[in-house]
Amino acid sequence: MGTVDLTQFHQTFFAESMEGLDGMEAALLELDAGSTDHELVHTIFRAAHSIKGGAATFGFADVAAFTHVAESLLEEVRSERRPVTSDLIDLLLRSVDCLRTMLDHTSQGRPAADENSEALRAELAHLVETGTGVAAAAPVAASAPVTVAAAGWKIHFTAHPSLLQTGNDPVRVFHELKQLGELQVLRVFTVDAVPDEFAALDPTQCYLGWELTLSGNVERAAVDGVFEWLDGDCELAIEPLGAPAAAPAPATAAPVALLPPHPVPAAAVNGVSGHAADAGSIRVGIDKVDALINMMGELVITQSMLSDIGANFEPSQLERLREGLQQLERTTRELQESVMRIRMLPIATVFNRFPRMVRDLERKLGKQVKLEMHGEQTELDKTVLEKIGDPMVHLVRNAIDHGLETPDKRRAAGKADTGTLTLDAHHEGGNIIVRISDDGAGLNHAAIVAKAVERGLVSPGHDLNDDEIAELIFQPGFSTSAKATDLSGRGVGMDVVRRNVRDLGGSVSVKSVAGQGSTFTIALPLTLAIIDGLVTTVGNERYIVPLISVVESLRLKPEAVRRIASGNEVFHFRDEYLPIMRLHRAFGCANAVREIERGIVVVVEDEGQRVGILVDELLGQQQAVIKSLEKHYRKVVGVSGATILGDGSVALIVDVGGVVRLGRRSEQAAA
Amino acid sequence: MAKILAVDDSASMRGMVAFTLRGAGHEVTEAEDGQKALDAAGAGKFDLVLADVNMPVMDGITMVKQLRTKADYQGVPILMLTTESDTNKKMEGKAAGATGWLVKPFDPDKLLATVNRVLG
Amino acid sequence: MGGRRATKQGGMVTVSLPADCRIGAQVAVHAELVAAVQASAVALDGTRVERVDTAALQQLWLFARALEKHGGALTWKGASQALEEAAATLGLTTILQLPAQQPA
Repeated sequence: MGTVDLTQFHQTFFAESMEGLDGMEAALLELDAGSTDHELVHTIFRAAHSIKGGAATFGFADVAAFTHVAESLLEEVRSERRPVTSDLIDLLLRSVDCLRTMLDHTSQGRPAADENSEALRAELAHLVETGTGVAAAAPVAASAPVTVAAAGWKIHFTAHPSLLQTGNDPVRVFHELKQLGELQVLRVFTVDAVPDEFAALDPTQCYLGWELTLSGNVERAAVDGVFEWLDGDCELAIEPLGAPAAAPAPATAAPVALLPPHPVPAAAVNGVSGHAADAGSIRVGIDKVDALINMMGELVITQSMLSDIGANFEPSQLERLREGLQQLERTTRELQESVMRIRMLPIATVFNRFPRMVRDLERKLGKQVKLEMHGEQTELDKTVLEKIGDPMVHLVRNAIDHGLETPDKRRAAGKADTGTLTLDAHHEGGNIIVRISDDGAGLNHAAIVAKAVERGLVSPGHDLNDDEIAELIFQPGFSTSAKATDLSGRGVGMDVVRRNVRDLGGSVSVKSVAGQGSTFTIALPLTLAIIDGLVTTVGNERYIVPLISVVESLRLKPEAVRRIASGNEVFHFRDEYLPIMRLHRAFGCANAVREIERGIVVVVEDEGQRVGILVDELLGQQQAVIKSLEKHYRKVVGVSGATILGDGSVALIVDVGGVVRLGRRSEQAAA
Repeated sequence: MAKILAVDDSASMRGMVAFTLRGAGHEVTEAEDGQKALDAAGAGKFDLVLADVNMPVMDGITMVKQLRTKADYQGVPILMLTTESDTNKKMEGKAAGATGWLVKPFDPDKLLATVNRVLG
Repeated sequence: MGGRRATKQGGMVTVSLPADCRIGAQVAVHAELVAAVQASAVALDGTRVERVDTAALQQLWLFARALEKHGGALTWKGASQALEEAAATLGLTTILQLPAQQPA
């Protein structure tokens, strides 16, 4: 019998183990010293147990050894032989970190155990051995088999009524005994409990007993092995038959099958060879896969209906054809949504790292923080999810470091000692909104303005409203912290946060009320893979403007446009003057409309800033699957990607943020 | 060929079990916790159930107890996937009505040998 | 269900055992056997039996015993190899009055 290649399950094992560790960490953080919360302890235990089992199965001995000790310790906690102390929680949290590293190393094919992990393992083992006074229960069970062999064994075996219901069958058991030696039934009998009336018999209960002899050089352990599963479901007595044999025979490695073992088909063994590609994987809920399969079914039906119409087309069938095409469109859209949903994962995976971080920061900064999280199940594209972590970490650190006050300051301000930090995620329109709010002091407007003046970001005496002041903190190089703490002041500022969020096609803004706290709002696109776009032409080319950024499209009369000193053009739009970006000029398009009155101006907005983009004409709206330009060509300013249109031609997708910044910059340069 | 229900919250273990058994020609249904397993068991009859002990939502022991209350599952072999150190769990599983156990870690050969043993 | 397998012909009741004659089928088999246990002559047809377990063999034994107590006669219309082998394994061949095992 060949072996099945197990490497194909390694990636899954790493992914679920990391997930298990996240859960373990979250539960540890929720667990208070002195707690006996059984559910939490059980969650923690289960994670360790699961990783141990998998690691042992897939041959990751270091990880298995480490988790084995951790599990033993947790078993003591679970059975309430060991109290939950804050030292214990810390030790286990360190074990979580250590296991993460070990799994990381293992997945990279590096040795998992190092000095640190060994030291920690020793620490865990020491606790297990000494801690509760109960000696470590070495898992022995059947490790020291009785090696006495006899001429055979006499076996008294009486079933308990429940024996058959457990799925055990004396027929099978006796067959197994026959594999060991010569089996003879001396006597079969019914027990007293058997009902007198046949009609009263419950045929699933067992009322039988046997006296058997098993002759041959059979080890006692082998006989015990056959009856192992019947322990508790029968009365069993096994006595040696006659004198022990002079020399114990080598253990009979008895094949315990009645039928010849099923051969594993060659394809199953050899088909999936080689190592699992490290291309990253997603765990997908079965419901999502089912939805896909449903959709596929509908697609197949529509397809067969359409080919049916196509095969014998008559003009009278035009209506049916239209219906079919509509159905195709609907199913395609649903299919697309379902496929996209596969990439969607709950934001909980990001949120889950915060309880630990908040706890660490509390200790470090002497602050008291209550963390509240809402909407953890809100789903985000996997790529967005992976990249939103760092900006969020930064915002959370900032909120605790700069936003929330120390308990005495809060008391002085008439607030509760413990500050509240709230993380919230939810859908809003086509976006995911993530809010990080605190009930701290709010932004210090005076300090921000002073710093901005000092940095030359604004001129002294310039009148700024609250929103404008708040905007200042996102300017490059801005930092109001009196001294750079090692938490949030080191190099990275809010400008980096904004840039990271922008790279994801999102935006970040802040609202703050003095004395009541601040709220940072991150808006993210649902997916990076598809946008709703406005298709426009510029000369011989097509450009797609993301619909989400479009405010309005209008045709301007020549007199509505004013040329300012720099030669830039502006036009009046809802109480403000907006610069005009001529796309043909920015991208160098030939044969484009040059007279503004003959083209269309599309007003677009990015983070509150607007510009008008001049295009030749609008072709309509459509969804565009984004193809990376960077990957296939190189990064182009003002262009976020490309897509392929229905006619097979390529259209570029306008990076509205980039265009707005370009437009504003030239306007500022002109001012 | 038997219809087998494989229950484990660990996708890698479940995948390994299912892949191995399918390779041996069995029809395998997967469930990720005890509750889902009960749902699956209610929807179709299985010849054998392999169940992990420690699972979220509903653990393996509770699942076995519930399964044994169903007329269809009197005497159907149910094997607990457990570890050697889990002596108590083996006994708890037995008391709940499990047929026997398969000790982790196991390799595909041991799995098939044990499955063949109970399927006869 | 009972009517399908148990047939009555000239005072002789015949009960046919199902192909999968294991614990899951025994409640149904029990119902048929209960209906037959007062008969003066019962023939068991075990030719179709492919899978059989202790629950089935125990029930057949207890049925044979009850039938004998009422003075009924038990005969076999044949038994499959699977049935014969399992009965032999449990030491029930004689008690069940099964036809002697044919050499394969």
